[in-house]
Amino acid sequence: MSNAVLPRNTTRQAEAMLYGAAARRLHQVSGAVIIVFVLVHMIVQAVKHVPMFASAKAAAPWLQALQEQNWVHAILFFCIVFHTFHGLKLLAGELGYSLHYKTAFWAIAGVSALFGLREVLRYAGI
Amino acid sequence: MPTDIKLRAEIRRFDPTVDAQPRYETYEVAGQDNWRVLDVIRSIYQHQAGDLAYQFACRAGRCGTCGVKVNGVPVLACQERCKPEMRIEPLTPFPVLRDLVVDRSEVEARYEQHALTPQRATAYAGGPEAIEPRLAEELCHMGSCLACMVCVSGCPAVAERAFDGPAFMLKLRHMAKHPADTGARLAQAVDAGMLECFGCDLCTQLCPADLSPAQAIREFRREMIFGKDARHE
Amino acid sequence: MSRTEVFAEQTDVLIAGSGAAGMRAAIAAHDAGAKVVLLAKGPRRANHTRMSGGRYNAVSGLNPDDSTDAFFQDTLESGVGINNYPLARILADEAMDRAYDLESYGLAWDRTGIRKYYMSMTGGGTFVRTLGSVDEGIGITEVMLHQLHQRGIWICDFHMLADVVQDDNGRVVGGLALDLAKGVWRYFSAGAVVIATGGASQLYETSSGPAINTGDGIAIALRAGAELVDIEFMQFIPISFVYPPSARGYTLTEPAHYGMRHFDPKAEAAHLVNNQGERFVLKHDPVRREGSTRDVLARAIMLEILEGRGTPEGGVLMLPDPQVFDAFLKERPIYVKRLLENYGEGQARLQEPIQVMPSALYTLGGVRIDPWCRCSVQGLIVGGEAAGGVHGANRLGGSSMSDIQVFGRRAGIAAAEDAREYAGAGASQLEKARARAAVLEACFGRSDGVRPPEVKQRIQKLMWDHVGIVRSGPKLTETLAAFRNVREHVLPTVKVTNKSRVLNREWMEALELENLLDIGEAMAASSLQRQETRGAHYRTDFPATDPEWTANLIVRREAGQLRVDKKAIVTLDPAPAAREKIGAAA
Repeated sequence: MSNAVLPRNTTRQAEAMLYGAAARRLHQVSGAVIIVFVLVHMIVQAVKHVPMFASAKAAAPWLQALQEQNWVHAILFFCIVFHTFHGLKLLAGELGYSLHYKTAFWAIAGVSALFGLREVLRYAGI
Repeated sequence: MPTDIKLRAEIRRFDPTVDAQPRYETYEVAGQDNWRVLDVIRSIYQHQAGDLAYQFACRAGRCGTCGVKVNGVPVLACQERCKPEMRIEPLTPFPVLRDLVVDRSEVEARYEQHALTPQRATAYAGGPEAIEPRLAEELCHMGSCLACMVCVSGCPAVAERAFDGPAFMLKLRHMAKHPADTGARLAQAVDAGMLECFGCDLCTQLCPADLSPAQAIREFRREMIFGKDARHE
Repeated sequence: MSRTEVFAEQTDVLIAGSGAAGMRAAIAAHDAGAKVVLLAKGPRRANHTRMSGGRYNAVSGLNPDDSTDAFFQDTLESGVGINNYPLARILADEAMDRAYDLESYGLAWDRTGIRKYYMSMTGGGTFVRTLGSVDEGIGITEVMLHQLHQRGIWICDFHMLADVVQDDNGRVVGGLALDLAKGVWRYFSAGAVVIATGGASQLYETSSGPAINTGDGIAIALRAGAELVDIEFMQFIPISFVYPPSARGYTLTEPAHYGMRHFDPKAEAAHLVNNQGERFVLKHDPVRREGSTRDVLARAIMLEILEGRGTPEGGVLMLPDPQVFDAFLKERPIYVKRLLENYGEGQARLQEPIQVMPSALYTLGGVRIDPWCRCSVQGLIVGGEAAGGVHGANRLGGSSMSDIQVFGRRAGIAAAEDAREYAGAGASQLEKARARAAVLEACFGRSDGVRPPEVKQRIQKLMWDHVGIVRSGPKLTETLAAFRNVREHVLPTVKVTNKSRVLNREWMEALELENLLDIGEAMAASSLQRQETRGAHYRTDFPATDPEWTANLIVRREAGQLRVDKKAIVTLDPAPAAREKIGAAA
């Protein structure tokens, strides 16, 4: 019996997740998260270490705590990994290489989630 | 055997010659679970709204003229299965003639502009033309593009940038691969906004003919960087 | 009531129909120097050619056993001897050149070697000769459309040819078209009008063609005084989809393609069984079995269903040979996809039985034409499915694709020539066009009455039940009476509920009704006269083929009445030059 791959069944297009749209949205959001993080990080480090801002440091103790939440780290790492790998996928595409959109999405999202999970576990001491 | 089900279809009604703005009308339809969206639309025309404007012809996914948006996703009405709740709208971003029928003049103008016949260096010498069997098969696959505009409708780059659309890139690539064509297809593609493509592959996912305009674009991009001797997919 | 507004345009050649015949005519007429306007009833890609599997019969020289004589003989045999011999001969002789034309347009015929086309068998043919391309009718229509773009030919989408206009001598001098997108009338005065509007498959409840094939051009020609030939012959494809409703009736090509017979004329086609598991085709054609011609197969299946041995959904079962799956997938991926989507994976892999039913596919008869597509009305040219005589009582699978190229080109050449020779002024007939347009707006003025879709369904049911695959004298007479009743009492009450002129489907269907009725009547009347069974025409009261009926029936309108006359078949003239119209260009 033949094992040849059949053509797709495209009769439920409006019920499927639109991978390209989801990936693009995630890429935009993760990019924004990274930028926001860098800005926040700069501010926090300045407040922490630069003597000029000592009064701000005293007035906002929550700035330090913010960076040490496990969920903040988890989201941040997810975003960095997703944004990087998806960006590499796009670059590869511009050189002519393709990955199937569904496989790529779940693989990249999966690896990114693992990195995020790793942060949670690290904070939990595992 | 199919089962009876109740369907609700919300259809965008708009006559630009008369209406100030579009409105949505809801129809309850008694259908069956194996119906396609086109069956629902035809039932509404038959029994409830004799003034509904919609387009179809082959009802077998070949003419590509029944494109609509169902729940925000561009599809062929004759191919897409019905759903208990459906919002049916005309295919964006084309001008609406009435209700679900759009004006495709701009589409034809763009096809014409791209000169999609083999630009031969020497006149056709009579057949059979020398074409590798595998290449002939590839050309035929690209030749099965329906020009349905589902990919153009779903493309975010078309919505946001100056880009003709995936369908046109696919046809340009089809010509580029034809052994008798000497046209500057890559240059044409770039002029038509090819570089605006986000590489999201939504066109690949949505294509009712299982084609990948995004892959055609990737091949053009490769050609741009590495030159024409780059391996074919 | 205000004067009906009609916009006037002018062209040399006006072509109605955007399928391959119309497009090939446009190319030929343009290349012969004529100004061409092509009318498409909807978007230009909505046509019957588009839906075709694209199998193309031609003698390429790659099969040493085959010849144009053999192709010609196969055509006559399939047509049960009543073909127009000169037309069938032309088809056999010119098909390959037209296939090369398509290749020059960019179509890549399937190959086994760099210059070796891939060929397959077709139902009823003797030798392997049929070409094809994986993009099928889609590929053919696309490359041709781009040829029209290249020539700058004016294509009018959403323009339905409503009628032709004739001068006082009966010469056609223009066409009246309804611009459906805007709801306005356009009169195109022209030196020649080409009818390439396809067939009338929509006459039937279950059909394989596109919704727009309501026989408009054939009816218009009939009303203009042209003769129809073989109009009683309607080809039913034996196998088509049974469900879902939108796909019902869409062709599944032939049982020959689902078995080893696809490659080898001596091998088996896919078996067809009824609900008892019996191979019922053996009763009808014990020699060719399921590799028989379409008429035999369609009749066999229809009788099984009518006699209660069909499936609950109303079909029979086809048992494909899984051995051919790989080849079938490679050659027809679009069909495999449809099988998957409509039926399921088992059926798509040719591992499970496939439910099939017959369906109205192809109008074998049509306007009577000469070798250059001219008919008995001057200024009117007809090509493609709208014309009759090429295929006789039954068409070989794969011969329509070649027919439309061969005769589309001839129609274009003849039209350009006639337009060049015509010195009259069609624009002077604008008032006649306006008068006709006014009549065709009558449905807007009625508030009581019946909607067009209901009348259409009534006609479709009558045709399917009584003028379809199984016919009999009493039922045909009954149907003619029913049609008379529709014409006299129902048509005048047709109303539209949609008051918008823009894309008014009810209005379009109202116009189609007259065409459907005209052809339905012609079909029923000529079916009644032909007291025998031959090819696609099957009479339960005259089940044998009668040599006395190796003749053609010509239908004409005379003083509002249908005249049906029996005429001798047109065989090959011993002096070939005499059979062609003088002045015809090569």
